[in-house]
Amino acid sequence: MSTLAITASSLSTSLARYWRSWGLWVLLLIAPVAARYMVRIDGGGVIIAIDSHLPTMTSAFLGVSLGIVVSTLVLPIGWLYLRSNTTRRQPWQIEENTAASRIAIGLGRFAADCVVMLGMLAALTAAGWFLGWLLIPDQLKLFEITYALWLVAAPSLIGLCALRILFDARPMLRSGFGDFLYFVLWIASIAVPAAMAGKPASLAANMLDFAGFVTPLQYGAPGEVGDFVISIGGVPVEPGFIQLDVMAGLASPGYIESRLLWIVIAVALVVLAGLIYHPHRVRRRAMSARWLAALTQPGAPPRANPNAPPARHAMAGALNLVIAEFRLIGSGRVFLAFAASVVALSYFADFRMIGSPAALLVLIFSLSAHAGRSEARGLLALTRMAWFSPMARRAAFVVAGAGWTTLLALPALARAPALETLATAASTGAIAAAVASSLATLSGSGFAPRLVLLVLWYGYSSYSG
Amino acid sequence: MTSLALAGIGKSYGRKVVLADVSHTFAPGLTLITGASGAGKSTLLRLIATAEKPTRGTLSWNEAKLPGARARLRRVLGYAPQAVDLPEDLTAREFAMHIAALKGLSLAGADKQFAAITDAIGLHADINNRIASFSGGMRRRLIFAQAMLGEPEVLALDEPTAELDGETARKLGALILDRAKSAIVVMTTHLADELAPHAVATLRVIDGKVG
Repeated sequence: MSTLAITASSLSTSLARYWRSWGLWVLLLIAPVAARYMVRIDGGGVIIAIDSHLPTMTSAFLGVSLGIVVSTLVLPIGWLYLRSNTTRRQPWQIEENTAASRIAIGLGRFAADCVVMLGMLAALTAAGWFLGWLLIPDQLKLFEITYALWLVAAPSLIGLCALRILFDARPMLRSGFGDFLYFVLWIASIAVPAAMAGKPASLAANMLDFAGFVTPLQYGAPGEVGDFVISIGGVPVEPGFIQLDVMAGLASPGYIESRLLWIVIAVALVVLAGLIYHPHRVRRRAMSARWLAALTQPGAPPRANPNAPPARHAMAGALNLVIAEFRLIGSGRVFLAFAASVVALSYFADFRMIGSPAALLVLIFSLSAHAGRSEARGLLALTRMAWFSPMARRAAFVVAGAGWTTLLALPALARAPALETLATAASTGAIAAAVASSLATLSGSGFAPRLVLLVLWYGYSSYSG
Repeated sequence: MTSLALAGIGKSYGRKVVLADVSHTFAPGLTLITGASGAGKSTLLRLIATAEKPTRGTLSWNEAKLPGARARLRRVLGYAPQAVDLPEDLTAREFAMHIAALKGLSLAGADKQFAAITDAIGLHADINNRIASFSGGMRRRLIFAQAMLGEPEVLALDEPTAELDGETARKLGALILDRAKSAIVVMTTHLADELAPHAVATLRVIDGKVG
């Protein structure tokens, strides 16, 4: 059997599917458009400051700034695209019963994902040239923009593609847990380079910088390593600019090697994914986890009455719809167990910083799951003919979401009654439900809402205002 | 002679026993699996097609036990499950060629064979159309056609004639019987009465046991 033929077939079919998806064109536009608003010479957009001073804009620094756009924006959006878009549906029921090598299939799909992501990087590069022409027409060096951007961003994008293949290899990683884990890894990839602070440039130090943009700033800054503080985001800046030698930072010991090593690690992860691949099968529950099996069992059905009369129309249909949505969001004993924990937490802990984020975190998974189920194309075709339109159901879903966060906030309200607490609880639930419903409507699944809500949750739980 | 043997095969999901102590040796020819909905027909077929691992008992291919012989069995297996997550944005032909590559078949030869099979079951005019435009019956025929690619020595078919009109079902039946002349064909079907005269065996699954 030709392994090469399997890889080539997986690559060509995946590329054909990407090529035919409208999502590809949206993806190619996102990064260039975001770059236009995130990278500004006057410190507007996302601020990169060295010791509270803006760096002087140069071609190389522009390339690194675009790399930061990739790390902060494209890594989560790229995950969303690769995992939820066109190639999500694979005929695994047939593929897994062939003798084809999973490594060969994985390598083909990985290569297709890389083509798409690097295509997006090429679009961002062209946007970078245009930005350079707008911002620094006298010092425009196309090579420096391209070199800095690709050295920073390409390995992390290739790593993203490898993680997508790896997370498709095991049942638990295919689920919502995989999305949550990716979200944690993404946050860690941005936070971990802080551990490099003060360390001399080396391969080991640079390996901590998966996102790749800290090294050129840290080792390109004037003075000794550790003499200054790098800040990225909405930070206050003082007048005056600081001169960075970004090209020197890119050439610092171990940096290029670390970027190449990340690419090697990515390919190794794809091979590992093929080796540890587990088919999509119904899993047997381990005997040692009987309590967990009992917890997740739906329970015995209600007693059937063969003489039950036909159901009548509800007296208050709209209220009935909200109650039905409320019950479906909170279905499952696992959810109820977590909700009970949140209720206890809400009584003792600070509501804004702990109680409300905890309630939202629990709800994100149930809201996105229920929204995704409800917006499945086949079901939508059926519910379109129902007495209440899908839009009415979505409205009920939002009200039910607000109902759940309010319910979970009741202990906090009992301890310290405050209108602000009530408003925060109700509005966060309503907003989360509205986001979940809108994204599920657009994508037809619960995946996109889950990831976007996790990102929004991170912002909400980190923001103390 | 090729043979596929089940010895004391059982399958449980948690505490629920779906199949218990099934033993049978399949020889070339058509074997029908019948039974009521939920009796365990599809589970038995999935075990034969290596889509599931048995909880107990052994499956042997040409007297070599699985899992050791699983790759050898899969090289000669054609499998048409009841439901497949078909790639909607590929054409039927692109999809079939991808499966042919996974089966290790020559793409030029598979392309010709796919055209012949789809012509015989009334799908040929649509093979360059995207699967998204296919009806339930067309999808069923596509899943059947990919299983027939190559010369599978073991053909496992899960209700291949469901959703098909009588005429198309008969065309499929003719291809299945033709393949059964030299291969082990195992098939779940609700059309057992029509095919039974041609079958070498009929296994009736009742509450997880084979009668």
